[in-house]
Amino acid sequence: MWKIERFPALWILPALLPVAAFTIFPIAHAFWTSLHQVSLLFPIVEFVGLDNYVGVITGEYFVRALKNSLLFTVSAAPAVVVLGTAVALFLKREFFGVEVLRSLVLLPWVLPGAISAVLWVWVFNPSWGVINSVLRDLGLIHSEIPWLTQPNLAFFSVTVAHVWTQIPFTVILMMATLSTLNPELMEAATIDGATRLQRLRFIVLPHVKSIAVVLLIYNALTAFTSYDLVYAMTGGGPGTATTLLAFQIWKESFSMYDFGAGAAVTFIVVAISGLLIVAITRALPSGIFKDA
Amino acid sequence: MRNARGYGSGILTAIGAFLVLFFTVGPIVLAIAGSVIPDRIMFASDRGLFDEVTLENYRYIFTGEVPPAYLKSGANRTMISDAARQAPRSLWNSAQIASAALVINLLLGAPAAFVYARYLFPGKRWTFMFLLLAPLVPTIALITPIYMMLQTAGLVGSKLGIILVHSVKALPFTVLILSIFFRKMPHELFEAAVIDGCSRVQEFTRIAVPLALPALAATGLFAFMLSYAEFMFAMVLSGEASSRPASVVMAALARNPDVSWSLLNTAIVIAILPTIVLVTLVWRYVLADLVRGAVKG
Repeated sequence: MWKIERFPALWILPALLPVAAFTIFPIAHAFWTSLHQVSLLFPIVEFVGLDNYVGVITGEYFVRALKNSLLFTVSAAPAVVVLGTAVALFLKREFFGVEVLRSLVLLPWVLPGAISAVLWVWVFNPSWGVINSVLRDLGLIHSEIPWLTQPNLAFFSVTVAHVWTQIPFTVILMMATLSTLNPELMEAATIDGATRLQRLRFIVLPHVKSIAVVLLIYNALTAFTSYDLVYAMTGGGPGTATTLLAFQIWKESFSMYDFGAGAAVTFIVVAISGLLIVAITRALPSGIFKDA
Repeated sequence: MRNARGYGSGILTAIGAFLVLFFTVGPIVLAIAGSVIPDRIMFASDRGLFDEVTLENYRYIFTGEVPPAYLKSGANRTMISDAARQAPRSLWNSAQIASAALVINLLLGAPAAFVYARYLFPGKRWTFMFLLLAPLVPTIALITPIYMMLQTAGLVGSKLGIILVHSVKALPFTVLILSIFFRKMPHELFEAAVIDGCSRVQEFTRIAVPLALPALAATGLFAFMLSYAEFMFAMVLSGEASSRPASVVMAALARNPDVSWSLLNTAIVIAILPTIVLVTLVWRYVLADLVRGAVKG
């Protein structure tokens, strides 16, 4: 690798500047707006300090939405990582049709949230959804299970749908990590008489541990900031059972036209995400930037 | 299977494969079933589901010929909506937007990826770190300011604005993936070129790019895929109905009470089919290499 003394601006900046413009400016902008009264209803912009934050935090939905978002995060993120790792381990094997299966596993990743939402309404709809129909045909239930209309079940249903959309990315990173595992190590362990379970426990899992932590935090981040899928499935209901913090931003800004309050929620979300991002940089294997 | 494993292991593999297939593809199969079963059969508990399988919804979307079932009674007539007929058009719009994002990503991303892969320079570490972390900033936090920015620039309500945002959102991934590919190239090639008097630009255009063509195409597809799936920006930035991409049209259909369930499913199947081609290509040309341990370089 060669050294250049000067920063190669012409090579780097065309990629770096647009990304910076679409990240740093919006965050700064949200911060500024959150400290001002910016509303379509009152056209005068004025500095109000932390009033927006106080107003939002003491508002009737904030605590509920924050609780929902946190619960959503701690249930979805580990599920994605555990299931994704299991699928990745399975897909590393060679068997008839595995190539096709590996491609198909990516499908949920490509689908826009609105489409995934419709697919899962198909599954969970209380009156004609597949789960209830099958259970009814098998004679296991006599009344409908209210998957999308009872608060806890609705929460469960949207979590399953969200996990479904997030698994592909985890599978890919996990498979990439598994492929860096030294095959000689596995062979040596096999020769030494290690069972499959022991090899998993003592060689494979320690090998993927650090990337699993990264994925866990990453998935916490996506769950904490997700919006479209859950909203399209339940509209945040029943009541406020599936109202997440991310569409609280939407509601404040675009249906109440109180951009100051919307920005305050935004900045709270950004601050919590910021903590998670710092956690990711700590958890990343230290070698990753060395010769990147 | 390489090693001869027991018969039981084969069965376990089959069960595992079935479970994975069931979980990922099951919901999509449902949409296909829903698209060929008319609503009146779906919601009638006394009829077999597959009594009247029909492709009339597909015919309606592509030709505008209203299925006879909808004409029979006045009540059902309202359950059909022109909105569903936007599906093919919206796919075309998505394809245009995503292709533009693909090209822009390669033009802006490849040079950066090349110097990140081949050179040491001041500021390298933190700028690369920034690119890696930028995509983690939540979309929901960016939407209002970016909307206002683009409004000032007069780019709201056109495909141009969406193309711009989708390109920038994919750029960090493009740089990251391409720099992995460039790093894997044998460095002797570049050393030889430099000895022969190649400049850095020539190194890039004469050696790196031609060698990386498959990788470039593949990484471009990845940007294409991200653009196809993106919804939030596409929604707030898109203009009149005829220029909206698939993600936006589908979301509108899903919330439109005038659209029958089978028609909605038909539109969704039409939107899903191209993605099957897409994931197959992305898998074969981008991910297969990364996943097979070729990353060590």
